[in-house]
Amino acid sequence: MSAHTHSSVLKHHFDHLEQQHASERLGMWMFLATEVLFFSGLFGAYTVYRLYYPTEFEFASSKLNRVIATINTLFLITSSMTITFGIRAAKLGDRAGLIRYLVLTLLLGGAFMVMKGFEYNADFEERYVPGTLFRSEYNAAFEAVFPTSPLQPPLSKEQAKAYFEQDAQSAHPKHQHWAAELVLLNYGKSTKDPDYIDPGKVQLFLSFYYIMTGIHGIHILVGLGCIVWLIIEAARGAIPPENYSTVEVVSLYWHLVDGIWLFLMPLLYLAGAGWAGH
Amino acid sequence: MAHESHHLKPGALEFDRETDSPSLLLGVWLVIVLMALASIGLSSLGLGKYALPVQLIIACIQAGLVAYYFMHLRQSDRVVILTALSSLFWMGILFVLVLADYLTRTRHVGW
Repeated sequence: MSAHTHSSVLKHHFDHLEQQHASERLGMWMFLATEVLFFSGLFGAYTVYRLYYPTEFEFASSKLNRVIATINTLFLITSSMTITFGIRAAKLGDRAGLIRYLVLTLLLGGAFMVMKGFEYNADFEERYVPGTLFRSEYNAAFEAVFPTSPLQPPLSKEQAKAYFEQDAQSAHPKHQHWAAELVLLNYGKSTKDPDYIDPGKVQLFLSFYYIMTGIHGIHILVGLGCIVWLIIEAARGAIPPENYSTVEVVSLYWHLVDGIWLFLMPLLYLAGAGWAGH
Repeated sequence: MAHESHHLKPGALEFDRETDSPSLLLGVWLVIVLMALASIGLSSLGLGKYALPVQLIIACIQAGLVAYYFMHLRQSDRVVILTALSSLFWMGILFVLVLADYLTRTRHVGW
């Protein structure tokens, strides 16, 4: 049985092209609903712990790089616009324009991932990573002020402040700025003090930061892969105006990933913007 | 199975050829960008407990603009709009039930 119609775009199980386009859109939106729920789980967990430990979350957030987050936000918003222009070009039969806009979207999404790479690298160099790295930095800063040896007296708060400031200005600082700030903020407080900033809960925030931005980054990579596929299809002439909906369904996924970032950014990066900051 | 005719029905290859106007797309982009910059700028103004609701409202409006204009909900079938709104409904269930649990627990200092 022959499975093709006289059109290369209209599939045999659809009567009309409009019907096919509508089905493609609906199918992608149903998938997007599952993606919303996927991220909602992470956002829900984040909400619980931010409500439980607001001070620690605000402190931890203030140490993230807001400049990179701003640049990345602008990259993604612009990429949403360029891929929408791509749909328009496809509908008008402008193959060169379609490829141009798809390449622009790819470059913007790629630039986002490059910036994220630099950001993660800087975070790792600062040891701002939950677990052993964080703990060793915090302990080193803590023991500089409160030595474990009973023969060495602890520093006073003013002495500690002066010590950390001098260390920060030296050629090879021994301590990270965030560890020094945390030790100074907790000076004289017991762990049961309501103002105590628990390093464990700071690390909890960092766990959310890495998992949420990491999984979002994986979604961006999948989207970039789809855009590369679209560029190849467009280049070989497989996206005539009748087939614009192929670009549209990929763009729906891409807009969702952008939309998720629009919520991710303020929750992770702007929570502690009122602090003295990075 | 008998061989079927695959001749096209009349009007089968017609589709909606209407396109977005470039100025509309650029305008929406500009509004979303300005809101993003406002959100980032406002956050360092020390709004205190109002910072989070303001940021979330801005994010909701931005996402709404992306959905309505870039994702073409403006021109979409009702079933597509229903699907989009359903995702918010299910997300709402998740948040209501999870928060109802966690926010009504008696918490001890040191957890």
